[in-house]
This record gives sequence, C-alpha cells and structure tokens, in this order.
Amino acid sequence: MKRIIHLKVNGLDHEIAVEPRRTLAEALRIDLGLTGTRIGCSIGDCGACTVLIDGVPSFSCLTLAVEAEGHEILTIEGVADGNKLHPVQEAFVEVGAIQCGFCTPGMVLSTLALLDYNPDPTEDEIRRALSGNLCRCTGYQKIIDAVKDAARRMKELS
Amino acid sequence: MRLPKFDYLSPTSLTEALEIMGGYKNRRLKLLGGGTDLLVDLRDKVILDVHNPHNQEHRCHIKPVQSAFNEPPEYLLSLSRIADLRGIRSEGNKIIIGAMTTITDLERSDIVKKKLSGLHDGAWQLGSPLVRNRGTYGGNLCNARPAADTAIPTMALGGKLVLISKRGERTVEHDDFVLGPGNTIIMPDEILKEIIFDLPDVQYGSAYIKLANRKALEISVVGAAASVIIKDGIVISARITLGAVAPKPLLVPEAGQLLLDRELTDDNIEKAAKTASKKAKPITDHRGGATYRTSMVEVLTKRALMICRARALNAERMEASS
Ligand SMILES: Cc1cc2nc3c(=O)[nH]c(=O)nc-3n(C[C@H](O)[C@H](O)[C@H](O)COP(=O)(O)OP(=O)(O)OC[C@H]3O[C@@H](n4cnc5c(N)ncnc54)[C@H](O)[C@@H]3O)c2cc1C
Ligand code: FES
Ligand code: FES
Repeated sequence: MKRIIHLKVNGLDHEIAVEPRRTLAEALRIDLGLTGTRIGCSIGDCGACTVLIDGVPSFSCLTLAVEAEGHEILTIEGVADGNKLHPVQEAFVEVGAIQCGFCTPGMVLSTLALLDYNPDPTEDEIRRALSGNLCRCTGYQKIIDAVKDAARRMKELS
Repeated sequence: MRLPKFDYLSPTSLTEALEIMGGYKNRRLKLLGGGTDLLVDLRDKVILDVHNPHNQEHRCHIKPVQSAFNEPPEYLLSLSRIADLRGIRSEGNKIIIGAMTTITDLERSDIVKKKLSGLHDGAWQLGSPLVRNRGTYGGNLCNARPAADTAIPTMALGGKLVLISKRGERTVEHDDFVLGPGNTIIMPDEILKEIIFDLPDVQYGSAYIKLANRKALEISVVGAAASVIIKDGIVISARITLGAVAPKPLLVPEAGQLLLDRELTDDNIEKAAKTASKKAKPITDHRGGATYRTSMVEVLTKRALMICRARALNAERMEASS
C-alpha cells in the first residue's frame, strides 16, 4: 500500500505517495522528475545513483524512499547556485573530466563530500573516495585531476 | 527492475521493535539494516541471454533470473530509526558497538583503530565508500558470508554478540554464531543488539588482511585475521581466523595453540601459518583456485601475525611515552 512521505530534497520539502518498495532513486527520478540521479546497476556496484543524505554519499538505488524521510537529500540538481556552477562542477568541465556524463552527477557529489571532510586530499585519498563510482569513458585520470583542481578552487574561495 | 512488494515497519525504539517481532512471529518478516545485502538479494537479477551457453544464436535477449528469495518477505522491519542501536562506546575494559553502527563509523573511530585494529582493517577494506556509508556492522555479521570482512577479525578478537528478543537477552560467542552461508543461530524473533569486546590489560595486537584482485568493491580471495595477547614477552592467547576458505568464517585453534606459552618469534609464526594453511578447505571458483588459496593462507597468516606483533609492541611504546 502507498504511504505519504515527506522528502527534503535540495532544500525543498516534497510530499509524495510511494509504495515501500520504491527506492530513493526511483522516487527522485519518477515522482520528483529529478533525472540527474542516474540508475546504472541498481545493486550498489556503479555509484551512478549517488546522492548525499545528510552530507553522506549514499547509493539511492539501495535506499528505500521511506528510509530517506526526515533526512536532507542533495542531488546534482541542487549543487549549482542558479546558473552559476559549483567550483567542483567548473573543475570537471574545464579539466575535461566529463565524456558521456553518465557517471558525472555521482562523481561530483562524492567529490563534494570528500572535500567537505578533507579539503586537501592526496591522490590516494581521492582514488579511495571515488572508488565506488565507476566511469566507463574517461579512464579516471581526468577525474582525479579535476578533483585536485576543485580542491584548489575551493581553497581560493575560502 | 523494481523490488518485490513488501510492507514496511519502522519502530523508533528497541522495545517497540521487539513487540512487533513477537506479534509477527509467523509472518515472513526480515530486518532491514543498511539494506546493502538485503535489497540486492530481493531484486530479481537480469542477465543478458547472450551469456547463456544454450543460446545458439548469440542474440542479445534479456532474461530475468529469480532473486535469492523463493518467497520475498511480507514485511521489512527497519532498524534505522532506533538511535540506541548505533554507536561505539568504552565501558571499563569493554568496547561495545551497536549493531547499526555503519562500516564508515568503524573506519573513522579512533577507539576501534587503536584497540580493535583488526576490525578497523576489516572495515577499511570493505566494499567502497558508498557501501561503507550505508552498510552496517550488524548486517555484515548477520548476513553470515564466509568472506565477510568484519566477521573474520571479530571472531579473531573474540567478539561476543548480544541477541535480544521479547523473551530476554543472550550473549553468544562469534565462534558459535554462524552455521553456514547466510545462516546463523538468530531466532526469528531476535535482533542482534550489539557486539562486545573484552580488552586485556596486558600487551595485545590484532590484524586482518584481505587478498583481493582490486582495492575496492571486491570480495576476498582469501582473508586472514589474527589476535595475540602477550604477557612479559610470552604469548598467553592467540586466535587465528580465516575467510573465504570454508562455508563459514573459520577459527583455527591448532594454529593459535602452537604460539601459546612462547615468544612470538619468526619461527613460531612460520609454524602457525603452515598449520593454518593445512586446516583451510577452500574451493576453486572464479576468484581463485583451491591450491592457490591454500598457499595464500600461509602467507597472509604469517603477515597478519607479524603485524599483530608490531602493533602489540608499538601500543606498549605509546603507553610508556604518554
Ligand atoms: C557493491 C557492494 C560491495 C560489497 N562489498 C563487500 C565487501 O567487500 N566485504 C563484505 O564483507 N561485504 C560487502 N558487501 C556486503 C554488504 O555491504 C555488507 O555485508 C554490509 O555490512 C551489510 O550490512 P547492511 O546493514 O547493509 O545489511 P542488510 O542488507 O540490511 O542486512 C543483511 C542481513 O542481516 C540481517 N540483519 C541486519 N541487521 C540485523 C540485526 N541488527 N539483527 C539481526 N539481523 C540483522 C538482515 O535481515 C539481512 O538478512 C558489499 C555489498 C555491495 C552492494
Ligand atoms: S545504480 Fe546505484 S550503484 Fe549502480
Ligand atoms: S563520463 Fe561516461 S561514464 Fe564517466
């Protein structure tokens, strides 16, 4: 049976009716139309569905929507400030860390959480933080470079 | 593929949860921790028929394969809103860890890193950040896989599990907890509440090593954990456990026995490691051959014991200088 839940996504409150089996990824994409969150594997392997739940990178494909009630969710749509890209997004664009873009929302959100916890990560720390986000296109090096560049940009801003 | 239908219960206290479980005894009810095992198992798998050897045309049909459950559960009872189940605390010479403590919590805890180093090693090497952020310690133990990365060191460290139901509480050793793959002694109305470790008041050290083909998102080919307690230079307790070499986490008492009442010398470590590899009964699968796994048990056990020794000595030095 469907139940009414309240989800706080990108700072906005939403009321939706979902079945308990609805995953957070499905709720975001189908009920809220936030299709920036991708579904790749549905079993925790690829990280395309990464969102931040209370600031923590989480796979939304293995999180039930009903479990997300009462928590703050950040999806890729909430990262930019209007038309102004976030420094992490700017770094990804300028360094060339995006090819098909399927993995990018997850990569950007995992990077945001990393830089929040550790503003000055080593290359090993970056690789470890992104190890649950797979990319079929870039070969990863540009992504690692973009994260380093993003760390530099964020430091300049602070 | 959508998940199968189920109803969802989310109690906010342990008492409420136990009350519900008592009442639903005869229904198909499953506990939901972080869901990183359960929700994967509930989903019907989809495979490309091109991988099917009987498909002569090599055409790319999509074929659903039934999920791990013959009958999916009617209810999922979520433990995520029971605050008391999450957290790591020290009480005298005990460390008590709630079942809903995430793997990331373990990895980031100084107490775990210092006092239960082997468990920290396990948490550090489990899955990926996304898995560690949602997956829980209790879920990893209750899912009872023979390669579970926190189970092997928990067993080496002599961890005790507190199981609770409306009928009361019981404490069991991890040694007696797992019966086989995915199968434990937990009764249908019981919840794993917490895991308790007794810390010795003399030198001790523990370690866990996972051999895998990649650094992340890997199930181990072989895993070995060790924990030693040393008094006046002499080993007074040694426990060696192995992962992925038997249907369940394997304790090798014979290997620990060899180290007792002696110094932890390279020679003795070597002997214990050889014994451990003789007791391992691995299978051959896509992750590794039985012979390879058996030889690796020796190497990993040796290394784990050497790390234990270094950590025991180092901890003593740190105590002395503080
Ligand atoms: C991509 C991926 C990679 C992974 N890599 C690894 C790895 O490298 N090493 C590894 O060991 N595991 C790995 N896992 C498995 C899994 O993440 C861990 O076992 C995790 O710790 C399970 O915890 P959970 O809270 O998500 O369990 P859940 O899925 O919520 O539960 C698992 C089982 O335990 C039961 N249960 C949960 N909590 C309790 C409780 N308190 N009392 C009684 N029963 C309970 C549930 O009913 C269920 O049967 C991986 C999983 C994924 C998806
Ligand atoms: S879609 Fe969630 S991890 Fe792949
Ligand atoms: S850019 Fe295509 S998957 Fe990463």
